[in-house]
Amino acid sequence: MADTGAGQQAGNTQAGNTNGAKQSAAVAKNGAAVLELRDIHKYFGDLEVLKGVSVAARAGEVIALIGSSGSGKSTLLRCANLLEIPQQGDVIFQGKAIEWRAKGAGRQPASEVQVRGVRTHLSMVFQQFNLWAHLSVLQNVTEAPITVLGQDRSEAEEKGRALLAKVGIGDKCDAYPAQLSGGQQQRAAIARALAMEPAAMLFDEPTSALDPELEQEVIKVIKDLAAEGRTMIIVTHDMSLARDVADQVIFLHQGVIEEQGAPAEVFGNPKSDRLRQFLLSTSVAA
Amino acid sequence: MTAGLTAGLMSIDLMTTGLSTSGLLTNRYWFKVLFEYCADPDSLSSLSWLSCYLTTVKHQSLYWSILTVLILLAVTAPMAVGLGLAGALARRSPFGAVRGLGWGYTSMVRGIPDLIFFLFVPLAIDQMLEYIRHRVLCPQETGPVWVGHDFVVCDAAKLPLGPSPEWVHDIYGFMLAVLAFSIVFGAFCANVIHGAMNAVPRAQLETARAYGLSPRQVMFRIHLPQTWIYALPGLSNVWMILIKATPLLFLMGVEDIVYWAKELGGSKSARFSDFPHGDWRIYYFSGLLVFYLLFTWFSQIGLKRLTDRVSRGQATLAGGKGGLGR
Repeated sequence: MADTGAGQQAGNTQAGNTNGAKQSAAVAKNGAAVLELRDIHKYFGDLEVLKGVSVAARAGEVIALIGSSGSGKSTLLRCANLLEIPQQGDVIFQGKAIEWRAKGAGRQPASEVQVRGVRTHLSMVFQQFNLWAHLSVLQNVTEAPITVLGQDRSEAEEKGRALLAKVGIGDKCDAYPAQLSGGQQQRAAIARALAMEPAAMLFDEPTSALDPELEQEVIKVIKDLAAEGRTMIIVTHDMSLARDVADQVIFLHQGVIEEQGAPAEVFGNPKSDRLRQFLLSTSVAA
Repeated sequence: MTAGLTAGLMSIDLMTTGLSTSGLLTNRYWFKVLFEYCADPDSLSSLSWLSCYLTTVKHQSLYWSILTVLILLAVTAPMAVGLGLAGALARRSPFGAVRGLGWGYTSMVRGIPDLIFFLFVPLAIDQMLEYIRHRVLCPQETGPVWVGHDFVVCDAAKLPLGPSPEWVHDIYGFMLAVLAFSIVFGAFCANVIHGAMNAVPRAQLETARAYGLSPRQVMFRIHLPQTWIYALPGLSNVWMILIKATPLLFLMGVEDIVYWAKELGGSKSARFSDFPHGDWRIYYFSGLLVFYLLFTWFSQIGLKRLTDRVSRGQATLAGGKGGLGR
């Protein structure tokens, strides 16, 4: 379980210290899998987007999913919190498998309550931030803790302010999302994710919608989280981010795992031609 | 009440012939003669004559009818928005039957001319209520309620009851009118709200689901609050149309300002009035024009403020006017 008192450490984490990140993550990751996806098959109509993919994230582990557009990495991530329903395969969260009813195309989770329970503990950060437009930044952070976790408003607001300060936008509490820059919005979205005190965090291309300068603000925050030993699955196009924070890199190609391993191995000694080509095309090739 | 409604319907014919039914509201005035000196109008100078003229019993009915229109608007607007919300929610219900009901309501009401609806709804509701009461309260009468061309129910089933005072009849007729207006304008609101709900970006709702909000919480915490941003311009439009439709009250036997303007503006000879004058309808109708123009104008100002408020901080054109500073 991630450190729930993280909000109080505002500013204390080592900025961009990747060695620190690696060490603390390595210490924490010796547990059972927090989240496991087993043999996931996903179809959109006749198109098979995922062809039997398995991924397991242990506590404190950071997994980077890389691959070209259309390789199915975002879809895989969305299967983890059941925003997409896989037609085959299992989603196991904290040792409990999601129960299903019906099979094939009509497959649905048997229990809406179970799905909500999983989502409550799996915070997602989206490519387009998706902050709720009608709520202020602070309200965005406190919304789910109050309505879903039933936290007291003043308590949630206090935590929310601390989290916003932690991601460096403590002065933007009362602004509306549209009044922030992209980097600020994404940091607010990360604060919103942290407010749920999640067992694991899902990042869906968190920096893809940002220009290089704003990207760095967000990358710094993600690195800090990795250093705290949080369990994270990150879908990304940013190879240096993957290399710096991940314990495990998974390369997806056309719906199957083409290669996986420690970042040094995957980036330093790619075995398949496809991965080699992909790394060349991303210009951060080893 | 059916008789009263029929009188209301008949008044369409009367409108063209220039006659009118006796006013339901004529008995309602605050005082018979406002100023002492009005007792003898012939002796008055022009200004005091006017002050007496404008405070006659009939003019007090005109002022009362202005209040009637305002009350109608005040009651109808929230009811129409409520019905519209219900209709829009029904159209996205998981149950097919409820969806069909919502769809049927909006398309039927929108597809039928308002005028027909205003004539039909009060009559239909009135007869339905009386029929139900007839069957429940008078079980001994087993015969048909339709005798020839007449709709006949027992005395106990009449709405309002025969011996009720005049004002009960007025209120009952007014309530039927409010209901008719609400149903018709509720359908317009339903369509506006339905469209606005579809305009809310899907990602906003998906994110709420991803954070564990239940479908109900997603609807009331995220979807509906954002709906108003998109619905308000359309609802403002419906409000304007509603204001301008109030003269149709006349069709339902409620004597509204247009009726009284026409009635009071017509030329009066000394035989029938203490205040004889020529054809003054042009002045009365000019007054109505000003009344409606001012009303819609002030509405527009109020609605603009409301729009600014819900759009505050939004990434829409309306939201940007307040300055989307970084």
